[in-house]
Amino acid sequence: MITAASNLNFIIAAYTVTWIVLLGYSLRLVRKGGRARADYERIAQQRSGEKSQ
Amino acid sequence: MISSSDQSRDILTARPPRTGVWPAFVSFGAVIAAQAYAILTSPAEGDMGHLQKIMYVHVPAAWMTFLSFFVVLVFSVRYLWRRRENDDLIAASAAEVGATFNGLTLMLGMIWGRPAWGVWWVWDARLTSTLVLFLIFVGYLALRAFTDDAQQKARWSAAVGAIGALNVPIVYMSVKWWRTLHQPPSSPATLDPRYTMGLRLNAIALLLVMIYFIRRRYEIARLERAVEHMAEAAAMGGQ
Amino acid sequence: MAWRDDWRRVRAIARKDVTTELRAKAGFNSVASLGVTILVLLGLALGPDADALRNAAVGAVWLALLFSGVLAFNRSFQVELESGALEPLLLYPGPRWTIFAGKLLGNLMFLTLMVAIVVVAGVVLFGVRIPADWPPLLGVLALGVVGLVVLGTFYASMASRSRAREVLLPLLLFPMLVPVLLAATTASKALLGADVMHEAGAWIRLLVAYDLVFLTATFIAFEHVIEA
Repeated sequence: MITAASNLNFIIAAYTVTWIVLLGYSLRLVRKGGRARADYERIAQQRSGEKSQ
Repeated sequence: MISSSDQSRDILTARPPRTGVWPAFVSFGAVIAAQAYAILTSPAEGDMGHLQKIMYVHVPAAWMTFLSFFVVLVFSVRYLWRRRENDDLIAASAAEVGATFNGLTLMLGMIWGRPAWGVWWVWDARLTSTLVLFLIFVGYLALRAFTDDAQQKARWSAAVGAIGALNVPIVYMSVKWWRTLHQPPSSPATLDPRYTMGLRLNAIALLLVMIYFIRRRYEIARLERAVEHMAEAAAMGGQ
Repeated sequence: MAWRDDWRRVRAIARKDVTTELRAKAGFNSVASLGVTILVLLGLALGPDADALRNAAVGAVWLALLFSGVLAFNRSFQVELESGALEPLLLYPGPRWTIFAGKLLGNLMFLTLMVAIVVVAGVVLFGVRIPADWPPLLGVLALGVVGLVVLGTFYASMASRSRAREVLLPLLLFPMLVPVLLAATTASKALLGADVMHEAGAWIRLLVAYDLVFLTATFIAFEHVIEA
């Protein structure tokens, strides 16, 4: 038997899962992006340092 | 005949562009607004009551899954055609975002199926082929993870992406013949007009999020590739 | 004639692979034994009810074929890689697709032998009753095996050169084979019964279409995949 109360739980679950996935993937992008940018700056600086010597 | 060396050195070490934070605020704000609009305006549906509200996240997520895998197909074929490194990176970014939306679609499908059909999972055509699609692109991402050479990675994953996408309609057809009990797909045409606006708005909002995700993922991939190229150049020419 | 030269290249590669396998024998024996072992395990897991076993027979045989076939495909490229023979093979003049066609043919012969053993074992172990009109069943089996070999050979050409070939090949291959598995098992079940629904024909057409589509697609894609 489907009741209104149990339906509400499923609706809340659906929207919660959606936002967990969206925000979770954003967080992954922010972290991965930060690491990649740090690596890039480090290597780019090393290269320009070598050139100026 | 294919040229022996891939013409993929056009990215090299140029500083990749960077998307600011405002597209994130715009796209996520759009999702919040669209969800609020849809939830507040849609009346309870005859058979399913308010359960219908899950449609506003489930159906757009499924559309975005297929859309991003279509992007994978297009850019994989374009990579094999032109051999530009950026096409490969766009395809890879779209595959990762698509797999994420695909996983979300499957979870939402189960959350819908439990109260609507009484079971978490049914072996019907669209559910099963969405799961198979997920597995195909998990394979695609695993292949990329386990291949070291950048050009090999690009050529192989382009082939796997294109052939995998080719299989999707065949999988769908075969599972449909095998067994089916899904309700006809929700599209604005078959839907009560009171729900269409909400569905459209949610699809557009999620499309913005998808574009933002793929862009950001692509920029990161380019950064990582630039680091690899610079490290390679340093190892060959340095000292 | 150019196509005659190509055909000779294809045959030479296939003959080389089959000869290597026949000389070594250990590879074939172990892959075929594994297929039978999987059947035995499935029988133990699903039995001992005779009717239940008979109903599960087709699925069990196909699963045994998939799991043991996967090992065979990796082997065909692994042997080449271990002896450093793939690069020289690529340096030979002539179109690259002949390499794929040769590997395909070699694997097809290898798999046909293995399928024969596994299917006979499956029929015996699971007590399958063969109907009088059995040739269509062989046709379904052949079409399914062609699909398995085409995609298996194609994905093995990549997976065998990656860092995780044992996991990667089944991970790539099995989801792609879903239509083959569904079509071959459903059609075989229908043909083993009386096919009252007349559904076997549609599944056989699906198998033919699947084989043609992926035969074409893998031949086109192989040139991109095999580059050193």
